[in-house]
Amino acid sequence: MESSIEERRHGAGWQDRLTGARIGLWRFCRQNPAGAVGGAIMLLMVALAALAPVVAPFDAAKFVASRYEGLFGEAKGGEFLLFGSDHLGRDELSRLLYGGRVSLMVGFSAPLIGVAIGTLIGIVSAYYGKIFDILLQRLVDTMLVLPGLVIVIVVATAFGFTMTVVICALALFSTIGSIRVVRSHVLSLREAQFVEAQRAIGSSSLRIILVHLVPNTLPVSIVLVAVGISGAIVAEAQLSFLGIGIKPPTPSWGNMLSGAQAVFDLGPHLAIMPGIMISIAVLAMNLFGDAVRDALDPRLRGRGEE
Amino acid sequence: MQGYIIRRLLLIIPTLFLLGTILFLMLQFIPGDVASTLLASEENAASPEAIAELREELGLSDPLYVQYVRWLAKMARGDLGYSVYFNQSVWQAIKPKIDVTVTLAILGVAVAIAISIPAGIFSALFRGSAFDQAVRAVSAIGMAVPAFWLGIIILLVLARYVGWAPPAQHVDLWEDPVKSLQRFMFPALILGFRSAAVISRMIRSMMLEVLSEDYVRTAWSKGLLPRVVIVRHALRNALLPVVTMLGMLFASLIDGAVVLETVFNLPGIGLHLIESVRGRDAVMVLGMVLLIGVFMMIWILLIDLSYKVLDPRVTYE
Repeated sequence: MESSIEERRHGAGWQDRLTGARIGLWRFCRQNPAGAVGGAIMLLMVALAALAPVVAPFDAAKFVASRYEGLFGEAKGGEFLLFGSDHLGRDELSRLLYGGRVSLMVGFSAPLIGVAIGTLIGIVSAYYGKIFDILLQRLVDTMLVLPGLVIVIVVATAFGFTMTVVICALALFSTIGSIRVVRSHVLSLREAQFVEAQRAIGSSSLRIILVHLVPNTLPVSIVLVAVGISGAIVAEAQLSFLGIGIKPPTPSWGNMLSGAQAVFDLGPHLAIMPGIMISIAVLAMNLFGDAVRDALDPRLRGRGEE
Repeated sequence: MQGYIIRRLLLIIPTLFLLGTILFLMLQFIPGDVASTLLASEENAASPEAIAELREELGLSDPLYVQYVRWLAKMARGDLGYSVYFNQSVWQAIKPKIDVTVTLAILGVAVAIAISIPAGIFSALFRGSAFDQAVRAVSAIGMAVPAFWLGIIILLVLARYVGWAPPAQHVDLWEDPVKSLQRFMFPALILGFRSAAVISRMIRSMMLEVLSEDYVRTAWSKGLLPRVVIVRHALRNALLPVVTMLGMLFASLIDGAVVLETVFNLPGIGLHLIESVRGRDAVMVLGMVLLIGVFMMIWILLIDLSYKVLDPRVTYE
């Protein structure tokens, strides 16, 4: 107890931080079991997708079996195919794993990039106010008039159908959404006493923004990212399904579905498996995102502060 | 009140101007314009001279600012432009499609309301019951399953196990309601089901809040019929914040229409938008997106105005 001020000044040691993190994680799991399960499933999916070259039984681009091999089928070499093969005889399981790399990559990176940019713009807009703020808000209001998918479609039309463009388009969408949330949060922070104190001792605006406003906005931004991921996964799947997202031969859960409708009779599993992967990912991420929001929502903060 | 409406309607103009300008500039990045797309589809003429000639004819070789001013002047006259790709004016091409999308949207909203209001009310009244748990589970799944995949699966099951497919030819709702409904039924159910997943959750939490209010207790203690207390006193107040959600609902309806019209091959706005995107037809995309923007703004205005009907305390400045 006596050393607490001293400790705080020098920052807690890494052991203490580790213990703190462990306690925090334990508390999160106990209070939000559903969210913890969602997080665990998501972690597993990310791990499987990231390790696709190691865990996938086959190369996703190789023709290893006869076409439209059903579930629990057999490859040319006699190997077991858990999810069968697709319309070209490629291993569906391997394609799902490699497709997961693409889908999850887009799903995670787009909100991450978008919210990061949106947070900075929102903070600057709220902190400086004046004409910059007004113009920016008009711009945001204008873009908010359009449904999300339409914005993404327009961007993808203009810049082509590649993974980078899809990520940027989805990032743009989450930037627009996050600017508004962050701005209103910072508008109240700006008037807080600790910001006033910083100004009084002559801190520069840059220091106030980076050292004080950004960390205080972080919970809001984390929630925005956590909640945005599932939407981005679905959006990517929709775009790729419509043929204006990620193009084959690169597999993504969305474009794996786009040909499936025509070959119901031959390979119904091709229409089912990618959709199940998307649904599991989105469900897991929704549960996790809701739990993160409950845990970090600034409106609930300060009530149970220990 | 009238002043408010007029001001809001006038605000649409600068917003549209800004939106149009952003889109106009953005769509300049399209590699390979309509001219080359058009000529590429015809086998004989792919020569650079022919492309240049067509570009000249379409005014695509003029400097950007000239094209922009020309486009602005057209917009000011309410002319959305002429699509060379579809060989139709934008408005002509879109007009017959609006019907389809609006029908789909209305049916979708009807399904959403029919599911979400009873589900929301009863899961709030019997909080923690099996019914409540079931509603929560179904809505969690409903939010997770992508609409287009649900559509694919329904078509798959129908075709494979029931041996039925929706009629391929489009018919007007008023000409042949039965056949038309057969086409619209499943996309509308999917659209409504997904919206209901979101709305019923919201109604549930609002009902829970309202049901513990003093005036609801008073209504109960006056001995009013449960139906009256729940519908007239509680539901009406619980719906107010839900109406705000309807603005987002419209956006998600359009998003849903884009994919569901593609899956179910309904000739509506969404399918047309995707076709124009595939054809890289900037004029058509621009016109359609602007129209969607107008619809969206009018919709949001109507929602803002409906607060007054639901809550007489609301005043507009």
